[in-house]
Amino acid sequence: MTEQKPTNKKPSLKQVGLSETVLWDLYTNLLKTRLLDERLRKLFRQGRFAGTYFSAVGQEATTVGPTYGLRDEDIIAPSHREIGANVTKGVPLELIVAQVYARRNSPDKGKSHPCHYGYRPKGVISPASTLAGQTIVGTGCAMGFKIQKKDNVVLAFFGEGSTSRGGWHEALNYAGIHKLPIVYICQNNLWAESVPATLQAGIKDFADRAKAYGFPGVTIDGNDIVQTHKTAAEAIARARAGEGPTLIECKTYRWYGHSEIDPADYRQTEELENWKKKDPVIRAEKLLLDLEILNTAKREALVENLDQEIEAAVQVCEKEKYVEPEEAYNDVYSERFPVLKDEY
Amino acid sequence: MKKVTYIEAITQALYEEMERDERVFLIGQDIGLYGGVFKATKGLMDRFGAERVIDSPISEVYIAGGSVGAALVGMRPVAEIQFADFITPSMDQIIQQMAKMRYRSGGAWTCPMTIRVCCGGEVGGGLYHSQINEQWFFSQPGLVVVMPSTPYDAKGLLKAAVRGEDPVIYFEHKRLYRSIKEEIPEDDFVVPVGKAAVRKEGKDITIVAYGLMCHKALEAVAMLEKDGISCELIDMRTLRPWDRETVFESVKKTSRAVLVQENSKTGGVMAEVSASITEDVFDYLDAPVSRVCGLDVPMLPFAPPMEHFFLPNAEKIVRAVRKVMEY
Repeated sequence: MTEQKPTNKKPSLKQVGLSETVLWDLYTNLLKTRLLDERLRKLFRQGRFAGTYFSAVGQEATTVGPTYGLRDEDIIAPSHREIGANVTKGVPLELIVAQVYARRNSPDKGKSHPCHYGYRPKGVISPASTLAGQTIVGTGCAMGFKIQKKDNVVLAFFGEGSTSRGGWHEALNYAGIHKLPIVYICQNNLWAESVPATLQAGIKDFADRAKAYGFPGVTIDGNDIVQTHKTAAEAIARARAGEGPTLIECKTYRWYGHSEIDPADYRQTEELENWKKKDPVIRAEKLLLDLEILNTAKREALVENLDQEIEAAVQVCEKEKYVEPEEAYNDVYSERFPVLKDEY
Repeated sequence: MKKVTYIEAITQALYEEMERDERVFLIGQDIGLYGGVFKATKGLMDRFGAERVIDSPISEVYIAGGSVGAALVGMRPVAEIQFADFITPSMDQIIQQMAKMRYRSGGAWTCPMTIRVCCGGEVGGGLYHSQINEQWFFSQPGLVVVMPSTPYDAKGLLKAAVRGEDPVIYFEHKRLYRSIKEEIPEDDFVVPVGKAAVRKEGKDITIVAYGLMCHKALEAVAMLEKDGISCELIDMRTLRPWDRETVFESVKKTSRAVLVQENSKTGGVMAEVSASITEDVFDYLDAPVSRVCGLDVPMLPFAPPMEHFFLPNAEKIVRAVRKVMEY
């Protein structure tokens, strides 16, 4: 893992290796994801929607960086902490909020639990809660693309805990045999709900697992947007070119509990405080300030715009109705097979 | 018209569907080079190549879950689970992904795919090569479950499964692979999903069965005929969604029912059929519904006398029918 040491010397665009536009877009998506995520946490705490909420605050760079630059027809195989992938893939904010609110305008028609975002027009698979589930399904999408001889790719997201599941192994093993066009993004946030990574595996770097499947595995600083984007972009290019999968382990940290009902008291405050110093949004901001792509005025204007955009989306969903309860009968099967109706 | 076996009918359906639609591909263990452990996919790799007839590693999770993914991006996967006994690792993917994909995405993502599952006893397969496990899938909303008993249905239902928009678990009974032959049309045909077949019309009692048990029931029907008992035999063919109407209409006519299922009794398909008859057409019944099932022990103890003891057969069905007739 190459962790950049803090230095007083300002970097140049050439050293960073990304254009101003790309850096601006990456930062904007990071910030949009952060503001939206914090807003949704607050709304849950205010009792504005049911269930719970799975915050991804702290690990935004692991989703925004890899997703940026994908095509609509490329597939996102998410778990439940990929709000950043949805934002970056261009899923309308209103639909993200609608999913959490389980309102009539939600793409899933209120069927799925909050944070189980899916949106077919942008290639985001609606996820199940079973961990590594979409990693297996996503690998199947890549198998489909290969048979179809298309150059689409799949980005599969999961935590380090998911890598302990047998099906995860079966999927990566298969992808290695057939050199499938897929990039596996492991968001190692050190905690699988309450179980530390040290009780998840006997290895320190989860990217080491790739060796067993015959494709590259790299461990990177998951809170550095430049690294997450560049590493994934390279892997995606390889995948598109038919050169097979890559496993990218992003070391990161989730600031809050597994969900909003988890106080996360199994962790040490010191650990959290240390990771907050590596805040991916602040780091991106500093980089853009140093490169003079951003300044205080621009930042304020951007925050104001994003806040307005988020607020508009929230207001639409606040006013939207729930689906009718009879919606429960729909989409079990295609229209050919009606389901039994309740008699009482 | 040409006489074909049950397994030849399956091979033909796969061949013809792959010819018809390039989105159709096969994945499973030993299905390519070897042509399948029972030779259901014989010759298909030669004709369609290794990209469409995939010899998978021993990965039942992936066979099911990977097929779901391929279906999401527009393929028409036909996966094979070599023995129903080995489907347990796939359950997570079948129940959580395949069955619920349409529902959880509000209809946006769908899984038009088929899993062929080789199943069933009376082949000396013992505990781990005789299971069916159809009741697990039967109870799962979102899945279509079929189980043909004839070569005609084997071909027609498999084609319907491949062409449909819903995920299908297609049970094929290994005891039937080479034990029955039937003339089937050479022209393209499908058997509609969700429709039972009345194998024999009768007026005194309704027998409902599926898979191998249809053949046991046919034997019983012939034996009972000699005693002047006229049985109506219904082959369910599709277990989910099952053809309630055909069963109810028959029971309304005969007022008696015996339900036959190869698998263990508790929680089986016929428990649901029995409960539904009681709920919906109780007024027409002249006797309690009776079930003839496999023993309520793990399916299927190996030693030949125990295997025979476990399974329903014509004699057991005859005894059940007589008991219900005498009520």
